[in-house]
Order: sequence, then C-alpha cells, then structure tokens
Amino acid sequence: MRRQLNAILAIAGKDWQLFFADKRAALLCFAVPIVLASAFGLIFARPTDKAAVVKLPLLVVLEDDGPFTRAVAEDLVNGARVDAEIVTAEEAARRVADRRPGIAVVFPAGFEKLADWKPGAAADKPTVRVLFNPLCTGESQWAEGVVSETVMRRLAKAQFGPLFGDSGLTLPFAVASVEAVDGHHGFNAYTHSFSGMTLQYLLFWGMESGLLLLRDRQRSLWLRTRAAPVSLSSILLGKALTTAAVAFLQVLVTFAFGYVAFGVKVCGSMAGFLLLAVSVSALAAATGLLVAAIGGTESRARSVSILLILGVSMLGGLWLPSFVLPGWARDVALSLPTTWAMRGFDGVTWQGGSLWDSLTSTAAVVGFAALFLAVAVARLITSEARRRRGLA
Amino acid sequence: MPRSLALHLEHVSVRYGPTLAVDDLSVEVRRGEIVGLLGPNGSGKSTSLAVAAGVLEPFAGTATACGIRRADDPTAYAMHIGLVPQEPALYDELTAEANLTYFGRLYGLSGYDLRCRVGTVLERVRMDDRADQRVGTLSGGLKQRLNLACALLHDPPLLLLDEPTAALDPASRDALFADLHRLRDAGHAVLLTTHHLDEAETGCDRIVVLDRGRVIASGKPSDLVRTSPTGRAVLYGQLRERLPLFFTRGLRKRLGPDVEVEVTGRRLRLAADTQEELGRALALVLSDGIALDSYRTPPGRLETLLRHPAAVEPRREPCDAS
Repeated sequence: MRRQLNAILAIAGKDWQLFFADKRAALLCFAVPIVLASAFGLIFARPTDKAAVVKLPLLVVLEDDGPFTRAVAEDLVNGARVDAEIVTAEEAARRVADRRPGIAVVFPAGFEKLADWKPGAAADKPTVRVLFNPLCTGESQWAEGVVSETVMRRLAKAQFGPLFGDSGLTLPFAVASVEAVDGHHGFNAYTHSFSGMTLQYLLFWGMESGLLLLRDRQRSLWLRTRAAPVSLSSILLGKALTTAAVAFLQVLVTFAFGYVAFGVKVCGSMAGFLLLAVSVSALAAATGLLVAAIGGTESRARSVSILLILGVSMLGGLWLPSFVLPGWARDVALSLPTTWAMRGFDGVTWQGGSLWDSLTSTAAVVGFAALFLAVAVARLITSEARRRRGLA
Repeated sequence: MPRSLALHLEHVSVRYGPTLAVDDLSVEVRRGEIVGLLGPNGSGKSTSLAVAAGVLEPFAGTATACGIRRADDPTAYAMHIGLVPQEPALYDELTAEANLTYFGRLYGLSGYDLRCRVGTVLERVRMDDRADQRVGTLSGGLKQRLNLACALLHDPPLLLLDEPTAALDPASRDALFADLHRLRDAGHAVLLTTHHLDEAETGCDRIVVLDRGRVIASGKPSDLVRTSPTGRAVLYGQLRERLPLFFTRGLRKRLGPDVEVEVTGRRLRLAADTQEELGRALALVLSDGIALDSYRTPPGRLETLLRHPAAVEPRREPCDAS
C-alpha cells in the first residue's frame, strides 16, 4: 500500500515537473483561457445603464408622402428605441440583403388615410411591411413592436391631441426592468465568459493529458513503467492527480485575472466556488483518462474529442447563456456535466449562491467525473490485460 | 560450485492473435553470466525478453526470477529485474538525476537511500558529471548508459536488455559492453537480445539462437563459431564512414553474384563460398578506397545458424550453460 502511494506521488510529481519543464507551453496553457474569456466578454458585454441602451438599427421606406406618414417616420427617426434612417425601397432591399442593417419597415401607399381613422371604423387596413434578413428574425419582431407603438401614439395624438394636449397622451403607467435574481449581485458578461471559457479549456486540457497517455503507451517508457512493481491503477491515479492539480491551478489563475482585469467576482460562497473548482478539475482529469481509454489512436481520439468538447460546451451554455438554445436542446443539456458545472459557477459567482445552493451542481459534476473515471479505468485495465496476453 | 539461477523461462509459448511468436521456449540464465538471445528480426527475441520482464504473459509456460514465479508474486518478481528497453526509456525534458529519482521511487526507494543509489549508479555508468544535464541534450551513447543506469537503481540481480546497441556507434557499443562485463563480474545475470553475430560472439558468455520462436541452438560462442565444413567464409567489417547507397550498389555489381554484400549503417558483411573468393572481395573493397576501422572473419556454424536456420534441427532441451 505504502509502495503504491509512493509510486502515485512519484508519477504525479514527475508529470508536474514535465508540465513546467516547457515554461512557454505552461504559460500558454494559462494564457489561452484568459484570452478566450476576455475576447468573449468583450464581444458580449453590454452597458447596463439606461442612457446607453442599445438602439435597433432600422431603415424606413415611405411609399406614401402624406403628412401623417411623414410624422410617423420622424417619430421613428427621433425616437429613443430605434436608430432609424429614411431610404428608398431599392436601397432598403439591397441593404437588408447585406444585413446593413437587417430590418426595414415599409409604409405603403394609402397609409395616409389612417390619419382619418376613427375608433370602430371598419375601413381597409393598410399593411405595413417589415423586410428582414433571414438572420434577423428576432429583430423583426422587435421592429414590429416599436413601429406599432409609434403609429398608435401618433394616431392617438391625431385623434385626442386637441382634447387633452400633448402632455395628456403619455403612457399612464411606467415599465421597470428588474433582474430576476435574488438580491444584488455582480453580473457582467465577463463573469459568464470567464466561467464558460475556463470550463471549456479544462476539458481541452483533460483531452491533452489523455492524448499524452495514449502517446506514452506507445513508447518504451511505458514498457519500463509497466515492468516496475506498480499497479496500473496507481499509474492512472498518479496521472489523473497531476491533470487535476494543473486544472485547479488554471481555474484559480483565470478567475484571479478576471477579478483584477474585469471585476469578475465570487459574490456567493467562496467555499462553494472552491469545491466546484475541485470537482471540475476532477472532471477534467477523468475526461482525460476517458479519452485515453476509448480514443483508439491518437489522431482519432483528438478529432472525436474536439467534436465532443465543442458540442458539450455549446449545449452546456459555455459560449452563450443556455436560454438562447431551443427547449429540446436545453432538455438534452441537462444530461451533460458542462451544464451543471456552468450552473454551479453562475450560482456562486454573479447569482451569489450559498455553499448549500452550490452543492447540487457540485454533486452532479462529481457524479459525472466518477462515472467517467470508472469507465476509463475499467476499459484501460481490460485493454492492458489484453495487451499483456498478446491479444491487442 | 554452480552459480545461482537468476532467470528460468520454462516451456514458454506466446501468441499474438493467431501468430505463434514464441514456441515452447526454455532458457536459464545464471548470476555472473551474459546470455545473448540471437536471431533475425521476427525470431521472437524481444517477445521472450518481454515475458522475462513480466510485461507479457505467456499462454503456456512460466517465468521465474531468483526462485519467484511471476504468477505467484508479480511485485517481488519485478523487484528482481531491471529492464533496459531498446529505445532509451527516459524523459528528455528532465535531467539525468530527475529521471533516476523518478524511476527509483517507482521501485520504492526514497530519501537518503534513493539519493545514494542515484549517485552510485551514475558513478557506475561514469555519468556522475552529467547528473544535472537534460536528457534531451545527451548523445545517443550517454542516453543508452543512462537507460542502463535506470535499470540498476534497485540493484536487481537480473538485467534484461533489448537490442542495447541498436543505435550506438562502435565506441559507445564497446563502452556499453564494458559496463555489462563489469556488472557480470559483480554477480549480475544479463540477458540481452541482438541480431549481430560479432556482438554475440565477443560480448556474451553464452548464446541462444532463435528462429521463428524456437531455440535452434545454444552454447558458448566458441562452440558455435567453430569452423564448419559446410559454412561460408564471412567477413565482418567496421566502415570508417557510411557509404552512399549508389556506392554500395556499384560495389555489389563489381563483386559479382557469388559474393554477398550487406551494409547496415557502418557495418559491412561480406560472404563468399571460399576463403580465396572472400580475400579477393576484400582486396576489391579496399582498392575502391573504402576504409575499414577493423574486420574479422568468423566463419562457422553460428553464421549458418543465423542465415540458414532451416538447415538446423531445433533443440528442445533447456538451454543451460552449466
């Protein structure tokens, strides 16, 4: 027992030395997730103050030259919700196709007769067309809402303005947007990107260590190691220990950088965060062993692993928040460790969750890691036994 | 007084899928002797060594090291063996000392004892001044010596070396054999594989010749290399420098079909039916300006065994030197 423990520590220590032997490679290993997370955060960060609310870019085409139609168009151009520009129909068609911007609203000939509309009148309704690029379906609905509101405001003003004056036509209620989380917390886009990119990179690090094990098994070093009085389980455990230790260090370094540079904070339980960091590090190590166990050849293992890691990263909400995914994808994602890890990180960072809150996610990640480890070790033991008997 | 038995492979057979790689092999190696497993590629040398090292399990037969059967106690068995793989099994990124420390810990060494052992083996292979050098910067010869040092750390009575001179120049090869002879004199048993006759003849105390997984001959080199009336005249030379391929082809053409010419790296082998023909071939080689550092002519049964094994009846009894 003591000999095996000594061997496990020797293997882990040696792998640790090998990792830091190439200092530039080691530095890159820490720098890459930081660069990725910073880039994602930069792209998706949005100012939260009201003054800087993003306006929807919109083209306006006037096929009717009446004063009421012009007034509606001016309301849109001067409004706070959209960044509108009046253009010709040809220009609108060309620019929408190029997605510069992806939406145009066309006020048709005959729109002017709305100026004479009376409540309850059953006259022919003019059709306002919203042209949209196929990549901008969401924005088209946004535009539809804004245009409807603007037209109705103008219409109300035309109908009731003489009675109540301009001040009497404001909305009789206020709308306030409130974040649907418990209490005050430190969300910013960087928090999500640092959690997501760290997790994704940990999986890649696990894959790399698995590929290294596959490579080692083809070398004479493996022969020497297997000839030593060390069990295969000890060898695998030693290797997994280093992979997990490096992964844990990566989590700490990446989040420390995020805190210093972008204000990424652990608003909830620090103990919960550390527990989660340990569990995702174990997941990275188990993933590595799984790659080595079922990967086959190195090139095959690399291709399949990259595909799987990118897939589980996307579905698990590591790139973008999972709410942008369709419902079925969110259901499927519940069967992935990345989803639970991401929930856990969201919980202990910007959602300010307690240690107790984070335990469900941590337990799920630990469960996945244990499952991967069990499958990998069983498979590697079987394949080594076959190899030893000359069958593989 | 007979020396104690370090390794006993008894009726060992190994299969790789449907292929019988080793067929009923029995070999004994005693302490204080160097035994060479000799044979062409695919004859089962490395497979036999892997069985002896405990990294390959035979489907029949047993491997015993110093009285311990591998099947009974794999850990104790492993402690009695030092394996030297063909390619240096070392981490290029680490220093010589770090490599030794790591492999020492795998064998249960630690602390002061480990530091002492590392120092001793570095001294033993005359590399104590290279302890802090990264392995990646060492020459092939030094790597092979360090490879040997790693196997000596736990002071095993039995050393197993798989083609230890495969990538070495003549000077490094001689140095390695000098190391092995010292180890033998210190009481270690050495089993090595090779396909070079000259190496087996000069470096080993006993030779076991394998062909297609079977032992076809064994004995002392002097017995196996004695002149045979049916043997061809053979010369082994050490070229001063490597020959370009076109030069070798031209030489082969000039020597004609009756003389065999083989050039492997800086090794040259000439074979002819008679000594006279061989002499003429050597004269032509030298007149072509090809410089030889040394050459030997060991015609006899060993050459026949290695080149024409089908002409020899396989032997079935254990190959014991005593």
